[in-house]
Amino acid sequence: MSELLQFSLCLLAFNCFALAKFNHYRDVFKVRPTQKQSNQFVIAAWISILLSLVLSVVEHKGYGGLLFCGYMALSVLLLMIFYSFKASWVKFMSVINITTIFLSGLYISVF
Amino acid sequence: MKESFFRSMTWMHTWVGLLVCWLLYLIFFAGTISFFRDEVTLWNQPALHNAQAPQERISLQRQQIIAGVDYLKTAAPESNRWGIYLPQERESQLIYAYEKPRPEGKRFGGWQEHYINPKTGESLQQPRETKGGNFFYRLHFDLHYIDVRTARWIVCFASLFMLVALISGVVIHKRIFKDMFSFRKNKGSRSWLDSHNVSSVLALPFHIMITYTGLITLIFMLFPYPAMTAYEDGIRGLFNDVTPTNVRTKSSDEPAPLTAVESVLDQVYTNWPNADLTQFAIKDPNKASATITVRASTGTHVRDQTPTLLFNGVDGSLIAKSVDEFSSTEVFYDSLTALHTGRLANPLLRWLYFLCGVAGCVMIATGCIMWAKRIRERMKKDQRPSFGLKLVEGLNLATLMGLPLATSVFFLANRLLPINMIERADKEILAFFVTWLAVALFALFKRAKQQWILLAWVNSIACISIPIVNALTTNGNIISYLLNGQWALFSFDLVCLISAVLFIVQVKKLRTHRQASVSNVRPSRVAKNKLREQSA
Repeated sequence: MSELLQFSLCLLAFNCFALAKFNHYRDVFKVRPTQKQSNQFVIAAWISILLSLVLSVVEHKGYGGLLFCGYMALSVLLLMIFYSFKASWVKFMSVINITTIFLSGLYISVF
Repeated sequence: MKESFFRSMTWMHTWVGLLVCWLLYLIFFAGTISFFRDEVTLWNQPALHNAQAPQERISLQRQQIIAGVDYLKTAAPESNRWGIYLPQERESQLIYAYEKPRPEGKRFGGWQEHYINPKTGESLQQPRETKGGNFFYRLHFDLHYIDVRTARWIVCFASLFMLVALISGVVIHKRIFKDMFSFRKNKGSRSWLDSHNVSSVLALPFHIMITYTGLITLIFMLFPYPAMTAYEDGIRGLFNDVTPTNVRTKSSDEPAPLTAVESVLDQVYTNWPNADLTQFAIKDPNKASATITVRASTGTHVRDQTPTLLFNGVDGSLIAKSVDEFSSTEVFYDSLTALHTGRLANPLLRWLYFLCGVAGCVMIATGCIMWAKRIRERMKKDQRPSFGLKLVEGLNLATLMGLPLATSVFFLANRLLPINMIERADKEILAFFVTWLAVALFALFKRAKQQWILLAWVNSIACISIPIVNALTTNGNIISYLLNGQWALFSFDLVCLISAVLFIVQVKKLRTHRQASVSNVRPSRVAKNKLREQSA
């Protein structure tokens, strides 16, 4: 479950990085992002990616660093597919992504 | 040299990449399959498909070793070597092996193996002769048919070129973060460039790590001079120094009883209380020179050197023990080797390694295709293609389509060749290379889009055939693997089916492009004619 949380955080981070870009944001929401929104996405992305890295390394040490590199590759691949072929699905994907983070976080904290 | 830094970097990236791209594709392709070396070997040995490691695998190891030594004492009392290979997560069978009598003038007689299902304790049928995943593992850096040392030098040079291409690629990719998620489809060479960039960027840390660590694994062959200066016997001296268990004892014919295995195991578990043992080997059993080597798994530690204990086989005393704490240079070398081989990886990380390896193959393939495509686009209508362009196009077709086809034929040969065939494993490899040669000869004569379509069809049929032929020639199939939780075998068949679908998608795309290019001819000609009329 902790691996799912680490990956979901990494995916969220790259999704935020993508949404901070003008063209990707417009593809998803059909409007231009404000400068403030872009900055907020970048901040959220950095927090999320650092959390993912820290969780991976704290749990698995050096091995966690390797896992994190793999999570990054998988996240970028998934987002590239969504943004290039199904930009309208990004909203649903983001909702599922955030829900997964909450549920996996809740599971880890309870059990 | 070109006039600016950016241009010279672009020039270097293009030519350094192009010169070795086909060899790099082979290295990456074989290396990517090698991440699942044990799983591929398992698929190639249907006799072992039903062997399953019990849940209490580690707690049974002591009992399995004692039973193994008892078996070997009866089965091969005169043998020079005994080996007990304990079930692991990826290799679930228990193996008792002994060395067969050595032929005149030979230093090793080969292993006679007895396979056991660790869950039931029953003997398993002798598996068919195959190299399985080990073929791809050796192909990755020994290239087959070439002298091993020469092959490794070639691979090292290719890796060095790859590293230069990667670094120069990062330098010339100005919009590396801006275009990270961008793939512009149906835009000709722009789409090829995007797919090259995306496949490079998404696994960039992996590409750099795997190339650099690949060079590091062979560093003592590339740069042996410090070791040759410091040690009288060069590299061997260095390795003996850093590996205390590399103790060479002179074989003796003087008989001596073997020490009690239980006392050796007591010492093993005192040293390593929760050890996951992998191997228990006895050299010169029942002789005065007997030694016992016990190896344990490294688990998920970023470490390549296996923990080892070496005992005297007569009095049971501990002779040597592998170091627990490495020096900083040893840690550096050993951890980089571990990162490259990925032996430490659990299934999740192994799949991530595989994904990144596939991204590497895509990066190299798109790079090769893009070069030829751009040269074609720059050519005038009545211009004939140069020899270089024809060569690159031929090598692209032969390598990018030939290698997957040869791999499929290798697996089909494993199922279709007679089980008792002499030198069966070599015949499987021969089938691989003959197929690749046939595709190369085909590409020599024709390499147009039609040939790409044809080979994509052949590849898709070959990929679909693998699970079908497997189902027809063995007791299992993809559905039974899924129902029985045989994930390694299920994943193998599933990857074949996914590959088949991808080849069909390739056919569809190539056909669409061909139709588009045919329909695009007329409007452009019409436009040109209009312009001519206007200018006249």
